[in-house]
Amino acid sequence: MADANTPKPSSSVKLVLLGEAAVGKSSLVLRFVNNDFQENKEPTIGAAFLTQKCNLPTRTIKFEIWDTAGQERFASLAPMYYRNAQAALVVYDLTKPTSLIKAKHWVAELQRQASPGIVIALVGNKLDLTSDSAGSAEVSGDGDDNAEDSGDARKISTEEAKTYAEEEGLLFFETSAKTGHNVTEVFTAIANAIPETSLKSARGPGASHAGASRTEEQRVNLNGPRDPNAKEGCAC
Amino acid sequence: MAMGSIADTLWDVVICGTGLQQSLLALSLSRSGKNILHIDPNDYYGGAEAAFSLQEAESWVDRLATEDKGLFRSASITKPDVTGLSFPRAYSLALAPQLIHARSELLSQLVSSRAYRQVEFLAVGSFYIFKAPLGPDQQPSLVRIPSTREDVFSTTAISAKAKRGLMKFLKFVLDYHSPEQRDAWKPFADKPLVDFLQEHFKMDAELKTYIITLTLSLDGRISTEDGLAIIQRHLTSMGHFGPGFAALYPKWGGISEIAQVACRAGAVGGAVYMLDTGIKSMATAADEIELELSSGDKVKTKLLVRGDEKVGDGPSISRLVAVVGSSLKSLFESTIEGAPTPCVAVVALPAGSLTVSGEATTSPVYVFAHSSGTGECPNGQSVLYLTTMATSNAREVLNSALGSFLSAMEQDQAPQCLYQLYYEQAAGVKQSRLDELTLDLPGPSLSLSMDDSMLKHVREAWQKVVGETVDDAEYMVFTDREPVDDDDYE
Repeated sequence: MADANTPKPSSSVKLVLLGEAAVGKSSLVLRFVNNDFQENKEPTIGAAFLTQKCNLPTRTIKFEIWDTAGQERFASLAPMYYRNAQAALVVYDLTKPTSLIKAKHWVAELQRQASPGIVIALVGNKLDLTSDSAGSAEVSGDGDDNAEDSGDARKISTEEAKTYAEEEGLLFFETSAKTGHNVTEVFTAIANAIPETSLKSARGPGASHAGASRTEEQRVNLNGPRDPNAKEGCAC
Repeated sequence: MAMGSIADTLWDVVICGTGLQQSLLALSLSRSGKNILHIDPNDYYGGAEAAFSLQEAESWVDRLATEDKGLFRSASITKPDVTGLSFPRAYSLALAPQLIHARSELLSQLVSSRAYRQVEFLAVGSFYIFKAPLGPDQQPSLVRIPSTREDVFSTTAISAKAKRGLMKFLKFVLDYHSPEQRDAWKPFADKPLVDFLQEHFKMDAELKTYIITLTLSLDGRISTEDGLAIIQRHLTSMGHFGPGFAALYPKWGGISEIAQVACRAGAVGGAVYMLDTGIKSMATAADEIELELSSGDKVKTKLLVRGDEKVGDGPSISRLVAVVGSSLKSLFESTIEGAPTPCVAVVALPAGSLTVSGEATTSPVYVFAHSSGTGECPNGQSVLYLTTMATSNAREVLNSALGSFLSAMEQDQAPQCLYQLYYEQAAGVKQSRLDELTLDLPGPSLSLSMDDSMLKHVREAWQKVVGETVDDAEYMVFTDREPVDDDDYE
C-alpha cells in the first residue's frame, strides 16, 4: 500500500452483462467477484446485482454489475439494465455458434439504445473446452497447464469473432470462467477504456479543476454516519 | 419460477403499469415468494414518471397527437434554429422532476429495502426568487432565499426587521404542533397560508413570497395547515443527509430512476416483465380474473393492480422542458463548506412578476434547473423544467418565464435555448379503489416535491397481496442480497 496516504480517486461504473442463456455470464461475474466457480450453476432468475472494485494505477473503479437472465422471455428486462450503463459485457459461448448470433443482436441493440459512450466488450467464454486453452494459459501465465485433451469443442474461431469485434469497435477477449483465464483482464480492460470524462462530473466544458478527485463529491450518501445531534446547516 | 407458458400460471398478482407506485409495489413484493407478472402498455418504463431521450420524447408527443393518453395533452416539441444539441440519447428528460425531501418516507423505504444502493442521489441546492427589473434600464435578478438560521443571519438581501420576522417564523414552524402554537394557526388551518403570515406575523409581501416559494405551491394559495407541514418538512430535512441541502434528486431522471430500480428489484425477485403489453379485456371468475393481453396471451390472476389513468378533479398544470446551451454555473454552487455540489436549483417567478399579453401573471412559475450532473444533458448544457397552473395562456406564460429567467442569468448574452418540450398534465384520481379482485392506485401526483401520501396506497396493495400472515412491520425491510462492503458507499 505505497499510496495509502493519498487515496486514489474512485468512481462507480454501471456494467451490464448480456448474452444467451447458459453462456456463463453469472460464472464470469462469480469468478471476478469471488474468484469462485460452480459447475452446473442454476440459471439466473430475473437478474442479480453485485459490486466489485478494480484497482488501476491512478484510480479505483467500483463496478456495479447487473447480471441479467439469459432466458428472459419478453426482452423487457434488458433495457432497464443497460439504461445509463457505462459498460456492457456481451458474452457468447465459443462452442455454440447461435450464441454469437445472439451476442451480435445485443451489440446492435446496445449501439441503438444504450448511452452513446458505452464501452462494450465481446467475450467468448468456455475456453477451457477448446484445445487451445493450454496455449492461452501460457500467454497469461496463470499456471493452467491442464490442456483439455478430450478434443476441441470450439465452433467459433478467434479470428471470426475478433474481426467482428474490430469492425464494431468492441473490446474482445476469450475467457474461461472455470479456470479464471482472462476474466480479471476483461474487467481491467473495461475499467481502462471508460473515458475520464464519463467518470468526472465535470462542471461544463473544459472544467478540469481538482481533477478526478471531485468525482463523487456530488453523490449524497443515505447511509453515512449521521450524528442526530449535528446541527450543521440545520435550521433548528 | 418455472419456464412454463405464462398462461399456465395462476398469478398471485398482475401489476399493470410501471409508474412509481406500481414499481414500488413490485419492490415491496420482490421477496414475498409470490408469482408476479408486471406488464406495461408502453414500450418504456416509468409511465407518467418516465424519463425520455429526445427520440423517445418525440414518439411520445406523436402518440399523444393520435391517441388519448388520459392525463397528458397539448404536447409539442420546438427546436429553435440553432446548433449545439447533442445526440438524442445524451438527454434524459423527466416527466416528473420531483424533489424528494430528506425526511420523505420514500427515502426511509429505499434505505430499509436496500434499494437505495442502486440510486445515485444528488443534492438540491438553493431556492431563488426572480425579481423583475425595477426600471426600464435595469436587469431582472435572482435572489437566494435564506432558509436556515445561519442563512438568515448572514443574508444581505433583507432588512434587519425582516430578518427578525423570518427568524420568528422559522422558530414557530419547528414547534407548530405544540398546544400553544396550535392555538395561533388552527383558526387559519383551511385558509391560505399567506393570510396567516399576514395576520399573525405581519410579514411584508417579499417575505410572504419567500415562504410560499418554499412550499412549492402551484397556485400560491396553499392552506395554512398544509403549508406549515411542508415548511416544517423542509426545515427538518435541512442537514439530515449532510450539510447545506434539504432535498435530493436521483440522478438520471429523478423519480423515473426510482421506478426502474424498483422494477429491477422485482425482476431479481423473479417477477416476469413484459413491456409494450396492455390489457385487452378481462373477465372475472369466482376468485380469479382472466385477462387477455394485447400480446394475445391469456393469463389468470388472483389480483390485478392498475394505476388509475382517468382525469380526476383538481386543476391541471402546464410544463415546459427546455434544454439550454449553458452550464448556468452560478446556480449550482454550494453555500456551506463540506456540502455536496448541488445539481438542482429551484427558482420561483412569483405571481405578478411577469406581464404576458398586457396582464400580470396570477400564479407562480417554478423553474427547476438541472445541471449536467443529473445525467440529463451533456456537459456545458442544462435542463430547465418550468411548471405553472394550466390556463388558456399558460404556454405564453412559460415562454415568457423562460426568457425572463435566462436574461436574469447572464446580463450580457442570455444563454441559448436548444430544445423545448411543452405539455399539459391533468390531475389524476386521488383515491385508490379496491374491489374483490382489482385494486386501482390513484393517479400520479402533480406536486413538485414527493408526495408521501401516495405511499400508503402501495402499502395497502402489498398487504392485500401478502395477506394476514406477514407482519406489517416487515414492509420494505430487507437485508442486502449480496454482501456489501459499506466502505464502498461512503
